[in-house]
Amino acid sequence: MATLKVEIVSPEAALWVGEATALVARSSDGDFTILPQHTATVGDLVPGVVRVETTEGDVAFAVHGGFFQVGPDEVEGVTLATVLAGVAEKTTDIDVARAQIAKETAEAQIAAETRNEQHDTASHVLAQAALERAELRLRAAAK
Amino acid sequence: MAGGQERILRRRIKSVQATRKITKAMELIAASQIARSQARIVANRPYRNGMKRIIVEAALGDPAGAAKLLATPENVETAIVLVITGDRGLSGAYNSSALRAGERLVRKLRAEGANVRLFCIGKKAGAFFRFRGMEVEQSFVGFADRPTFADARLVASTVAAPFIDGGAQEVLLVSTRFLSAATQAVEVERLLPLSMPEIPHADVPKKLKGYTEFEPEVEKLLTSLAPRALESEIFSALLEGAASFHTSQQRAMAAATDNADELGQTLSRIMNRARQDSITTEIMEIVSGAEALRSGK
Repeated sequence: MATLKVEIVSPEAALWVGEATALVARSSDGDFTILPQHTATVGDLVPGVVRVETTEGDVAFAVHGGFFQVGPDEVEGVTLATVLAGVAEKTTDIDVARAQIAKETAEAQIAAETRNEQHDTASHVLAQAALERAELRLRAAAK
Repeated sequence: MAGGQERILRRRIKSVQATRKITKAMELIAASQIARSQARIVANRPYRNGMKRIIVEAALGDPAGAAKLLATPENVETAIVLVITGDRGLSGAYNSSALRAGERLVRKLRAEGANVRLFCIGKKAGAFFRFRGMEVEQSFVGFADRPTFADARLVASTVAAPFIDGGAQEVLLVSTRFLSAATQAVEVERLLPLSMPEIPHADVPKKLKGYTEFEPEVEKLLTSLAPRALESEIFSALLEGAASFHTSQQRAMAAATDNADELGQTLSRIMNRARQDSITTEIMEIVSGAEALRSGK
């Protein structure tokens, strides 16, 4: 039987490695699902939730952008799907309170800088990124 | 006087023992950090290899685009040199060998007529080059011991910026590679333009038959992949640098502890002999005094 081996990998550690029935994520071309025996594919991931479906239930990860690769198969009949993410975390590990605080801080900063019309300062860009990350975390945790 | 010499020796022994305590403690701390930093290299490996595989795949999918991105620059007017050292000293040859290699590289590039812009990681590198009157554009400190990916990101975006806007044609990295627990070597590596990664043998894809799909199309993918690949390269260089630093420090401190032991032993032998001498002299004085008194009766 064909199986799917999924690896969710961040630079600091391999977050999750195991057998799955499907991998659901979103690239810049749109949502996709990887099933066993998927053809070799390489693509990017937009910030969002990556879901791994296994026989023991789903595992979801908040991924702040990254890449994925399907194949090449190491063993005949085992499709290998690798997700590479600079920053990623299991949705169940997300600290909702912290994300909420981060969101509010970022929003306050953005509001203050918008009032002062400092749209393109570095700190404004950073705050924007922080806001996006916090929002993604909250969205992922709420699911 | 014999008593005076004994006191001086005792003081020296004390100071050697105090130094030994410090070097021993540093040795133990470094030893505990080695295991941790090695574990981090291992944990980083899947990401690093995955990144390399993807780049190879994408490069094979778009040879023309890859040639543009991965080509060796022909005419280097300005080169960026990034040197990785530690924040602290007392680590044997770790800092100095990376710094020497960095200095050599800068000399060579200047001899070839290129401008060199210098970026440093670690307090030691910044201090070294400034002392030598070379201008350091930016020096990153505080994370050489325990680098995080966010640090690597910051460094990557800083050194890549001049390359992207055309201010530099090449980015070179001087860092210490952690080849094994016993060997570390300083290497000069080209970061940008990206070099085609060599895939470890076990990983050579058996089924690279040019039948890979890309999402989005490969040209776009390559451009978004390049900065991430740079971050990954810098991060692994930082991790290996940290592991090399701790290994080197542990070795240096173990040697220092041994030396302190030996010195302490030699000094206490000399001191014992001095004490024995002074006791013998004293007894001789007493005996000859008593003898004189008796014969005087």
